[in-house]
Amino acid sequence: MLDVENISTYYGNACALYDVSFSVTENEIVSIIGANGAGKSTLMKSVMGTVRPREGKIVYKGKDITHVQTHKIVKSGIVYVPEGRDVFTKLSVEDNLTMGAYSKPAKAKELNALHEEMYEMFPRLKERRKQMAGTLSGGEQQMLAIARGLMSKPDLIMFDEPSLGLAPIIVDEVFDRIQAINKRMGISVVLVEQNAFMALSISSRCYVLENGKVAMQGKSSELIDDETVKSAYLGM
Amino acid sequence: MQAVILQLAVSGIAMGFVYALVAIEYTLIWNACGLLNFSHEKIITMGGYVFVGTCLFQLGLPNIPAIVLAVILLAIFGIAIAALIFIPLRNSTRLIAVVATVMLGQVINEGVILIWGSVALMPKNFLSGVSQILGATVSKSYVYIIIVSIIIIAVLQFILKKTKIGKAMTCVSQNKTAASLMGINVKVSMAITVAISFGICCIIGVLTAPIFTVKQQMSTMIALKGFCAGVIGGFGNLPAAIAGGLILGVVENFAGLILPSVFKDVVAFALMVVFMLFFPDGLVGVKNRIQKHIAKSQMEKLS
Repeated sequence: MLDVENISTYYGNACALYDVSFSVTENEIVSIIGANGAGKSTLMKSVMGTVRPREGKIVYKGKDITHVQTHKIVKSGIVYVPEGRDVFTKLSVEDNLTMGAYSKPAKAKELNALHEEMYEMFPRLKERRKQMAGTLSGGEQQMLAIARGLMSKPDLIMFDEPSLGLAPIIVDEVFDRIQAINKRMGISVVLVEQNAFMALSISSRCYVLENGKVAMQGKSSELIDDETVKSAYLGM
Repeated sequence: MQAVILQLAVSGIAMGFVYALVAIEYTLIWNACGLLNFSHEKIITMGGYVFVGTCLFQLGLPNIPAIVLAVILLAIFGIAIAALIFIPLRNSTRLIAVVATVMLGQVINEGVILIWGSVALMPKNFLSGVSQILGATVSKSYVYIIIVSIIIIAVLQFILKKTKIGKAMTCVSQNKTAASLMGINVKVSMAITVAISFGICCIIGVLTAPIFTVKQQMSTMIALKGFCAGVIGGFGNLPAAIAGGLILGVVENFAGLILPSVFKDVVAFALMVVFMLFFPDGLVGVKNRIQKHIAKSQMEKLS
């Protein structure tokens, strides 16, 4: 459903991505791993149009979205849960969720049902629904960012470092939910992670980014046994 | 004595609301576009001229339709300015943005002279006369200012808290990238904010027209004091700006009781300097500090 074809993205003269291609098909989890500065976030931002690739093409559901405005890309069904969560700290949990549904006009009733669905999936958010998002813990903010992303009922959701700065027990919970989103809701997932082991264990395919280029790609089950991946990213 | 105090209180509160509206008007743009609109003084003046010069005198409209038309015209002007200047400048360095808005003010000033001439205009039978409140004689224009300001503030709160457009404006002011990732068209949201801000500028011009008459310098002082109100309240915070404006208006008016009236303006600016020196984050900062102090003393009691 998403095809990124040979894109190159620059910040000024610095090349952040060079000739990168990757694709996501219906209903799968694709992971992208790589070290700091490998270009993982830039790749996500290029898809969302918050930075623009200088060369190449991005096609979503058969439509070229390379030069489409960000808010229209969101409307067409791609959601990006950014690194560092980026929740609206001065809005309540409830309002944050409501804003997640901004791109899909919904009646009050449907909106309520969506809220309840999210609270069922993330019970902690229900307890804190009236609280300002800025007062939540890191794990709760991550849950909120994920739930907010789901509010617009996307077809494809991209997570950028969802485990960053979280306690190991919370990391397990987050990955658990991501798998549930894919399996139960039938949403395709792109997972960008530094936690390579986690990413490889829940994804079906994986791309390894190195210095802005795709160094390796393949089935996650095969990459997890690959010697280079093992030594470089899994620390084995 | 009681009558004098009541008179001072009413006119102080009225001017306080004018300062509060000024603070709101530029805080909206500050929050949405990250730039200080130094041309706001001239936009208030322009609002006054559009209302009196064009809508009342040239078109001969009755008061209410004239106000509505003037506000709409200024809002449209705001959208144009947003598209041409404020939105393109949102990511530029502060200095460039400051110079641009100051120059915009000059251009508007010259434009006003070109279109309406440099004469002072006075609307006839508009918010004029006096009313008796509890034995005190109060100018009607002050009463209208208070009523209209409260309505504007209430409507603005409703828009920001309850409507989709307003919530989007709040999100854009908090985090532009995240807002666009929610599917919010950030540029459109900015343009709407600027339009609302310019609309409020126009209403300030309309409300103060009977007090200052419509002339080039009609808004110089209120624009500056509106800035003081923002500093006293806490920059970038709307409720704080309102509180700052009201305090400023009342304090400077009552200072006139003790000090010679020429010192009235000095009081406002002295108050701002005091706040900048000792409470740079305004009343909001003071409130936070007190809350922290209470929390700390409670913790100490427990332990």
